[in-house]
Amino acid sequence: MPEKDNEGRPSQLRVGRHYPMNWIPVFWSINLGACLTLAAFYCVVWCKQRETWAHLLFSCSAVAAAAISAFELGMMNAQTVEQYQTLVRWIHVPTWVLTVSFVAFVRLYLHAGRARLAWSIYGLRTLVLVLNFISPVSINFRTITDIHHFSWGGEIVSVPVGLPNPWGLISQVSLLLLLIFSVDATITVWRRGDRRRALLVGGSMIFGAILAWHVPLVIWGVIEVPFFLGFTYTAVVAAMAYELSNDMARAAHLAHELELSDKRLNLAADSAGLGLWEWDLSKDEIWITPTRRAELGFPVSGKITFEDLISRWHPDDRDKVRQALRDAIKNGKDYDAEFRRVLADGSVRWVASRGRVQVNKQGNPIRLLGVSMDITARKQADLEAARQRHDLAHLARVNALGELSSSLAHELTHPITAILSNAQAAQRFLDADEVDLNEVREILNDIVTEDQRAGEVIHRLRRLLRKGEPQTHCDDIDLNEVIQDVLRLMRSDLINQNVTVDTDLAQNLPSVTGDRVQLQQVVLNLVLNACEAMTNYNSSERQLLIASKSENGTVRVSVTDRGGGIPEGKQEQVFDRFFTTKKEGMGLGLSICRTIIDAHRGKIWATNNAQCGATFHFSLPIVSPDGLFAAPSEVFDKSTLTATDASAPRVAAPSVLLRAGANGSEPEELRTSASSVLLERRQ
Amino acid sequence: MPHSPSPTVFVVDDNAAIRKAVSRLLRSAGIAVTVFASPTEFLAQYHPNTPGCLVLDIAMPGFDGLQLQTTLDKKGSSLPIIFLTGTGDVSKSVQAMKHGAFDFLTKPVNAKNLLPAIRSAIERDAIVRQEQARLSEICARLDTLTPREREVLEQVVAGKLNKQTAGDLAITEATVKMHRARVMAKMKVQSVAELVRLAERCGIRGTNSLKSAA
Repeated sequence: MPEKDNEGRPSQLRVGRHYPMNWIPVFWSINLGACLTLAAFYCVVWCKQRETWAHLLFSCSAVAAAAISAFELGMMNAQTVEQYQTLVRWIHVPTWVLTVSFVAFVRLYLHAGRARLAWSIYGLRTLVLVLNFISPVSINFRTITDIHHFSWGGEIVSVPVGLPNPWGLISQVSLLLLLIFSVDATITVWRRGDRRRALLVGGSMIFGAILAWHVPLVIWGVIEVPFFLGFTYTAVVAAMAYELSNDMARAAHLAHELELSDKRLNLAADSAGLGLWEWDLSKDEIWITPTRRAELGFPVSGKITFEDLISRWHPDDRDKVRQALRDAIKNGKDYDAEFRRVLADGSVRWVASRGRVQVNKQGNPIRLLGVSMDITARKQADLEAARQRHDLAHLARVNALGELSSSLAHELTHPITAILSNAQAAQRFLDADEVDLNEVREILNDIVTEDQRAGEVIHRLRRLLRKGEPQTHCDDIDLNEVIQDVLRLMRSDLINQNVTVDTDLAQNLPSVTGDRVQLQQVVLNLVLNACEAMTNYNSSERQLLIASKSENGTVRVSVTDRGGGIPEGKQEQVFDRFFTTKKEGMGLGLSICRTIIDAHRGKIWATNNAQCGATFHFSLPIVSPDGLFAAPSEVFDKSTLTATDASAPRVAAPSVLLRAGANGSEPEELRTSASSVLLERRQ
Repeated sequence: MPHSPSPTVFVVDDNAAIRKAVSRLLRSAGIAVTVFASPTEFLAQYHPNTPGCLVLDIAMPGFDGLQLQTTLDKKGSSLPIIFLTGTGDVSKSVQAMKHGAFDFLTKPVNAKNLLPAIRSAIERDAIVRQEQARLSEICARLDTLTPREREVLEQVVAGKLNKQTAGDLAITEATVKMHRARVMAKMKVQSVAELVRLAERCGIRGTNSLKSAA
């Protein structure tokens, strides 16, 4: 309530003096409060996102601006010189904080302003602060002799009267540098194309830096205004706050966009049957696309650790995949594995999973990013195809043996003939008056030998005729043995056809990996084929050469005949299914040979000889000593859904996949690009 | 007459076990056996005078059983051949049959079939050889005749009367009679009928009179 003077009318002067809370205190206080609110707000933001240092710097400068306002308000209402001196001295602390955090903010947030200028400002400002506390009163005044009260805008305010400190010049130099720094930063931002920001932040900076010049002018007594440094900085603080809030709005928008994009990505991933995953190694936390997450029976939210995830894998595959992942992390390589998962409903699905290790600046792995694809259908189709191939091969084998039946009967006839004659001879010897036991013993020995020989023939036959199950393992095979086995079976047939067989088999032939029966089938087919090619030729010319040799990491077998050769240009076609030049041929023999050799990761081809006839060759990779990955892991009908594949998870380096991961370090970016590459690949 | 060794069975088979077993079986039946691993080996060692028979595997690499049969045929050998065949050798068997194989036995061959077959083959070989021996003796007698006597023999075989013969040969009937008596003596026959039979076996045909021919 306004007091009244003696005359009973209100005195403006007295009222001003007695009720200092007029517009000046109100404005200064509002400024102070606003700065503190912004400071507190951004301090909270910083606390949640520690890496956004600009927020902290902004908070500091806002607090400093608030403090400056408070000091100024104090100075305007200072009643004694001592009070004033204290305030003038201590106001330099928030000023230092404001200047330093402001410059740092510009550098960090706007990525503008020259480093040298910035460091000069830090240095000078710090020097000013030091000198301020060394000086008797402050950097601005050597002494303050009086406080000058005057009316300003209807308010009585105080300004100091005293001797300016010559060191104050340094303060002015730093102010000048700040101005230059602001102009320079503004130009940089403007040139960068971010004009709005240049106008707002840069403009307010320049404006503030210019307005700050009122301080020396007041000190020197050039103008008579109260200090309002707090307000000049408030403009800057307000501009910064505006920018930051814009950023936050943009961040919110981006978050929304990201959510949408996430949904789109999930939809794309789901419809492509892909699952995306990310494994944070330091936190051992795994993120998986929601659909996959639900499939695996994880709750919608909540942490998934690696052990949680691995518990969803098929027990037989866990160790192998764990090892593959460990290798990938250890060597920083890409990871690629096929394994089985057990879903929440208990069903088993095959999954191909590929990932890439992400490293930090020190090169230490921090994260594994990847995609997984359900390949159960493919695996089942593979299995079905393998079964069909297996059945067809068996059919062809039975067919080929049918062609050989009389020859095979011979092979059995020989030992049986010998056995019968031997047995009947023995009977007669025993009927004689004097039994020659030695003779009988010898006969029995021969019978046993011949019986064994017959047994071997039957065994060989049974092996070839057996349909059996697609083989679940591969043997190390000596191709020379395979050739000799086949020649033994075909001996009588070759004799009947008057075909002379020469062999040129390399000594100490390295082993190959595969299915013995199927490789025998290949050799059998090639020999039968060669014999048939020579049926219309003079029997003296029916010569067959079978050679084996090791070359360039493979074993090569060639079957050379002296028949009519292959019509020019049909060397490839002979391996086509149902291609035949024979009246009774099914055209399956050579196509099956190709299927078998392909499944063994080998090659089969045909050439015409210089003189006459053709040569069929096939080559198979030699078993490498360390075996596992070099050897064909998927032999012909071996792609069964048993532990075969799982026992050798593929740890190749898929160059196509996750190619994008190499340049982008942003997780979102990587996720998107990885899936798009995969999608492309599926088409 | 050359010496006549005891009959031997020649076994030719490329399968050593069968060779051994069959030879054992034959030995157990008291039959002499010689085994050969190939037709070539047999041809190199075989003496045509050795009686017996040949037990031959029809299918062998290179020079096979059929080729051996043909070769022996060309050489005029009468050695009976018993072929041992497998089940699938029908066409070869037919071919062998056409060339006069003695018998076919299918492997595995039973002693009950093999031994009788061998015995009858040896028997036939013996008969053939005996016949051949007799024939060659008769032929040897023929060789002792003078050309004139041979002419007279041919007239006799042709059924000419002495008178006709005399006319044809332009000699006297008495001379014809003398030649006839000498021929009968040299050929060791008692009757004209017997003389004609022997002469025909040796391949002598009666000649018609030159005149009537003219």
